Amino acid sequence: MTDAPIQLPASNCIELENEAPNIRGYRCASCNATFTEQTLACRACGTRERPSPFRANETGTLHTWSVVHRSYPGIDVPFVSAIIDLDGGPTLKGTLVGATHDALEKGLRVRLVYDDAGGVTDRNGTPYIGFHFVPAGACQ
Amino acid sequence: MSDVFILGADMIAFGRYPDRTYFQLGAQAALLALDDAGLGVRDMQAVYASSCFNAQSMLGQKVLKEIGQTGVPCINVSNACASGATAVREGWIAIRSGVYDAVLVVGAEKNPHGMLGGPPTDGPAPEGLFGSETMPAVFAEAGMVHAQTYGTTIEQFAQVAVKNHYHATMNDKAAYRKETPLDMVLQSEMIAEPLTKLMCSANVDGAAALVLVSERKARELGVSRAVRIRASALASDPFEPRNPVMFDANSVTRLAASQAYEMAGLGPEDIDLVELHDCFATAELLHYENLNLCGDGEAGRLIDSGDTALGGKQPVNVSGGLLSKGHPIGATGVANIVEIVEHLRGEAGARQVKGARIGLAHVLGFGAAAGVHILEKA
Repeated sequence: MTDAPIQLPASNCIELENEAPNIRGYRCASCNATFTEQTLACRACGTRERPSPFRANETGTLHTWSVVHRSYPGIDVPFVSAIIDLDGGPTLKGTLVGATHDALEKGLRVRLVYDDAGGVTDRNGTPYIGFHFVPAGACQ
Repeated sequence: MSDVFILGADMIAFGRYPDRTYFQLGAQAALLALDDAGLGVRDMQAVYASSCFNAQSMLGQKVLKEIGQTGVPCINVSNACASGATAVREGWIAIRSGVYDAVLVVGAEKNPHGMLGGPPTDGPAPEGLFGSETMPAVFAEAGMVHAQTYGTTIEQFAQVAVKNHYHATMNDKAAYRKETPLDMVLQSEMIAEPLTKLMCSANVDGAAALVLVSERKARELGVSRAVRIRASALASDPFEPRNPVMFDANSVTRLAASQAYEMAGLGPEDIDLVELHDCFATAELLHYENLNLCGDGEAGRLIDSGDTALGGKQPVNVSGGLLSKGHPIGATGVANIVEIVEHLRGEAGARQVKGARIGLAHVLGFGAAAGVHILEKA
């Protein structure tokens, strides 16, 4: 009998190994392009070999962003929607927390922090694990 | 191969139609275009119908049930915001290849209300947890790349909205016909920096239609108001390292534009007016460069110069664009061709681009697809 999971990934990029989260990327052995999903062949070069999974770094740089002031009904605003290039790839979209407006600039160093995905659970009460980004020097 | 001509072109006024169905809107536009061509539904050998949200409901057949079930083939097309251009291009291919002499193209949409964005997912809704998937945020992020790389300012993005809302005051088919000075644009509700509400396209219903004919048919009927399709190009997004995590509006548009210029044997300097996909004000500036109307990094200066306003060197979105005329998604790509046709015929009234002989129409679909058509006065 398998144990029920004690947490669930809130993003397909999160891999749980013995309940410890990490970010899973995929890399083409032929052209080194990186992706957040595993395709049948490489979407960059067309090589007929599935890109291989790798454990991505949890540090990266800010490529672009928008401070979102209006979203779907019920979503807390404002928040910073950010495009982050992880060191060594791939690129992720995430919410950037704890950066002042003036600190936002292309190239800002950030790191990934795991979180409880807003505190939601599935129908069995199992919590989710998500992630967000903080400026590299920040303590949480 | 036959050249392809637009013989009929028209649209209904864009806006909200709570008491009408999308196929009734499409049928109305179809009749307008047929009347414009001086032809009837029995002259049409095929129907190419576009709708982002309702193509799968057999839109073309539903239109024919409104205006005459002639039994001709209907091809129903959904390709996001490029649905309309895709339908036009399918009709163009059919006539160019000699299969038909006359076809009807119709784009119709009743847009959902509220903010358009990402698909539903299992587990926690990603919005806010993992950035934003709303369309304003996506195009804000694309604009911020330009701002960071070239120093483009929020005022320069906002000037796009000032210009296009002004243009729409001269278009009685535009959903909004109200001038919005720079202060008003900047002070309207901030949606996703740098986009305020007045820098986002008008989410409305609408329909537009074209009658396409072969050269033989055009000569038989007389070509005085016909417009020649010099180029029809459609591209999907080529690989870019951040796409699709970050939507790439640029490479797909550049690909379609370069193919269209090559097919037409023309360059951007030959174009008298442009209708481009200003789904958000940021997008218009990106597409100045993507369509090669200016060099990379020069879009901010181009909007400041006034060259892309009516009366300028190369007016862009004199219809009012998606920002003010409106963006009923499956109709948009047909309607911007209708706009070019009116100018090439010299029938655009107060917003007429004087002496226009060649025009370019562009649309961009999220996901991605880009369509570029180049039209010439016959």
